[in-house]
Amino acid sequence: MKSKGLMFCMLPGVLVWFGLNPTTLPAAAEEETTNEPDRADQADIEKLLEVIDVDPYEVPPLVLRRDHNYARSAVDVEPFRHVTPFREHFLEQLEYTGPGRAIPEPRDLKTVKIGFIGPIMSTVSVATGGKSHEEALGIAMLRGAQLAIEQANETGGYPERAIPFELVISNDNGLWGASGNEIIKLAYKDKVWAILGTIDGANSHIAIRVALKAEIVMMNSGDTDPTFIETNIPWVFRCIGDDRQMSYLLVDYLYRKLNYTRIGIIRGSNRYGRFGVREILDGARRLGHPIILEMAYQVGGEDFSLQLERLQASNLEAIVHWGNAVEGALIVNQMRAMGMNHPYYACDRCVSNEFLAIAGDNAEGVVCGYPWNPKRQDEDLEVFQKVFRQRFGVEPDTYSAHGYDGMSMLIWAIKTAGLNRAKIRDVLAHRARPHKGVTGVIPLSACLDDLGEVFLARVEDGQWKFYSRQDLDIPQGTIAPRDRVSRKTAEASGE
Amino acid sequence: MNPITCRLGGVMVLLTAFLVGPWTVVRESIAVAPSEPNSPQKTGDRAGAASPAPDLPGMPYVYTKWKQYTTKDGLPNDHIFAVKVDGDRVWVGTEDGLACLDKRTSKIQTWGEEQGLPWRAVGAIDVHPKTGDVWLGLFGGGLARFSGGRFDHWHQLNSGLVNDVVYGVCVENDNIWAATTAGASRYNPVTGEWSIFTEKNAPMEEIWNYGCCYADGLVYLGVWGSGVLEYNIERGTWKDYLDPDGEMEIDLYRDDGIVHVITTGVSYVEKTLWVTTYFGASRYDGRHWRGYFAHESGLPSDFNNAVIGRSANEAWFSTDKGLGVLADFPTDTWVTYTTDHTTHKGKAVVQQGTDVLMVIDTPPNLPHNYVLWVDFDGDDAWVGTSKGLGHAIGRGYYPGLRRPKDALGKNN
Repeated sequence: MKSKGLMFCMLPGVLVWFGLNPTTLPAAAEEETTNEPDRADQADIEKLLEVIDVDPYEVPPLVLRRDHNYARSAVDVEPFRHVTPFREHFLEQLEYTGPGRAIPEPRDLKTVKIGFIGPIMSTVSVATGGKSHEEALGIAMLRGAQLAIEQANETGGYPERAIPFELVISNDNGLWGASGNEIIKLAYKDKVWAILGTIDGANSHIAIRVALKAEIVMMNSGDTDPTFIETNIPWVFRCIGDDRQMSYLLVDYLYRKLNYTRIGIIRGSNRYGRFGVREILDGARRLGHPIILEMAYQVGGEDFSLQLERLQASNLEAIVHWGNAVEGALIVNQMRAMGMNHPYYACDRCVSNEFLAIAGDNAEGVVCGYPWNPKRQDEDLEVFQKVFRQRFGVEPDTYSAHGYDGMSMLIWAIKTAGLNRAKIRDVLAHRARPHKGVTGVIPLSACLDDLGEVFLARVEDGQWKFYSRQDLDIPQGTIAPRDRVSRKTAEASGE
Repeated sequence: MNPITCRLGGVMVLLTAFLVGPWTVVRESIAVAPSEPNSPQKTGDRAGAASPAPDLPGMPYVYTKWKQYTTKDGLPNDHIFAVKVDGDRVWVGTEDGLACLDKRTSKIQTWGEEQGLPWRAVGAIDVHPKTGDVWLGLFGGGLARFSGGRFDHWHQLNSGLVNDVVYGVCVENDNIWAATTAGASRYNPVTGEWSIFTEKNAPMEEIWNYGCCYADGLVYLGVWGSGVLEYNIERGTWKDYLDPDGEMEIDLYRDDGIVHVITTGVSYVEKTLWVTTYFGASRYDGRHWRGYFAHESGLPSDFNNAVIGRSANEAWFSTDKGLGVLADFPTDTWVTYTTDHTTHKGKAVVQQGTDVLMVIDTPPNLPHNYVLWVDFDGDDAWVGTSKGLGHAIGRGYYPGLRRPKDALGKNN
């Protein structure tokens, strides 16, 4: 089985995963992980709860995760790799040092509210000025969250008080800033205990700024923008592999495995496209083969001839697309119609049935990064897929599955910590054992990002097939065993 | 005369006051005992007992006399987002209401939504020097003016305010600037004109404004993800300050620009710009940058919520682990304030760079070590924390370092 857990135990950068007992990581990670706490896990959780039971002025003495390498970056794709930086960020877990742990639980609650924010209603797109385009993703995410809530309520809801969980749903309508108002409403008016969301990179950033000040957990299951987590906010978690991880794998595949040297990019002219290709651009340049040409297109457009003609004239070996599935499929169709037979690579948003339907035969051989393997043999995943189909009448996609996992993590944290936002944060941030979701094991980095294994998806016989790095024997650069600032010292000492 | 405990080469030695002078800076940890026995944390107008600040040449001024205010003293909420001193009044923005502390009587008046405050969370405050109007940035509720006992309210649906989540507010001439989560708005209450600044008309790679300040014809915006923007009022032009390495996960060189683009606070005073981020802090004098990180300075933490400059050489940094005061820029001399609430003792650490010069025990100083805001009040300072308001009393305050000829008996 290609699980994230197998990868996890090999990561030199995340050995200090455990909040309370770092030395127990290897043994715990090697065995099959479940969400049912075993004796050791339960003991750690009980100890954690004891430690975080403090007065408003006390900061609990939690052991902080210490990563030796940011995001499992190979040495040769690190920025300014020939220079020792003055400061390297995101290697040590942030603390929450405020008084929130002492806030007493409220009485007389009828439900335990959890917030959801996502693009679920049609509105105006900032990118195009026309109709928004992320509702399908947001509704899929909402369904996953709903299913997790319903299942929790079927098994007793919030057991301490025998009351149900309630999902408080907000629309993230895509206009910049709107998500901030929605988070304010969720935090102060609805008084939810934690929030799941959202997908759009800009809205996600706005939401977490509010969450920081309002001191409430934001779990993200749909925004793969690497900078989302690079903000140093101790209230923010992400349970999906990001564009950095997927880009690292794609770059390794393109340059180390296939030995391309001339690649061009076509991307959406929105924030998703702009930030999504950053690691591709950087990785290509750092490996000695800068992207030859990067062309942006208007999101929602149907004619890409301007961009494609320029790419065609650039003597490229392959083309990478970063944008939505519809545009991705239309582009590959137009490429083939123009006689451009370049191998076509794309981002995870293109891994969809919609892409296959629009691209038809042109989809064959397309390869995309993907944050998980939905075809792996896993009992929990199969049950989830079956129940989801029964409940909603459609197949769960990546947004549904990650939404389900993110909401399940929040429910677990609330059940474990009780009705205190700071303690909910603590148990998520310091749980010794990584959450085992339907998308795989979710090991969090020091900056609380999902460092689980990511995959490549390839269209074969009209179907998406998923491959790990090992499956395709994709080489990887050396991952240094220590942080960059102390690396030089170690070299000087002859280590 | 208080005994001074001095650690020299790891050995604790009891010194007596006759050791005062001729002074050289002692580069060891010195603990000055408080002048009164330890007392429980005090609140309200009952000041914590003060221990004398070390009146030593080469030493910065240390605030040893503090008062704390909490809900027990009449604040509507202990989570203090903003503080603004206005003559005898101290305006306090909290997570659940506005307060005004009368310094003469120590009485606190409060306003919540039931008293007309448009929204409960007050995230920023400024006072118009001409009119005395109090301008409030409401965290999720827009912009409000408190004048003549009445609240006026501007929000996304009735004005040119670009977003209701307002993080910063500042007065510039007749204009009021609001730093919001989706751009900056400028409002002229005289003409009723609104201006909006976003990525459409300003160099905002991201539009998530956090802080703003005005001085000398320049408005500075701290923009989360977009560094610092400088707006020249006379020219109507923008200038941006970004982290030159362009990378989120590293700061390549400390002194090449702002240390990170996730900017949280700006303060411009005496032609010097102070900047905070969640990754450290920076100072810029128009020619040279200087970066500050916790591991090599008196910053209690790299997680900085805000900064306010007192001069080109002094700035106060609000962090999640205490209050860091760069007391003298030329010598890199810091005073770091924290309170240990389990022992009811405060602590002020004086250091130059990483060299600790003195550790001074004080009565409780900060109401909580999670500091969110500071405003100056002459020689005093008011400190907003996540669990109350602190008043640092600066009797005998002096800027920079004590000069040798000023020592002995002239402090306090």
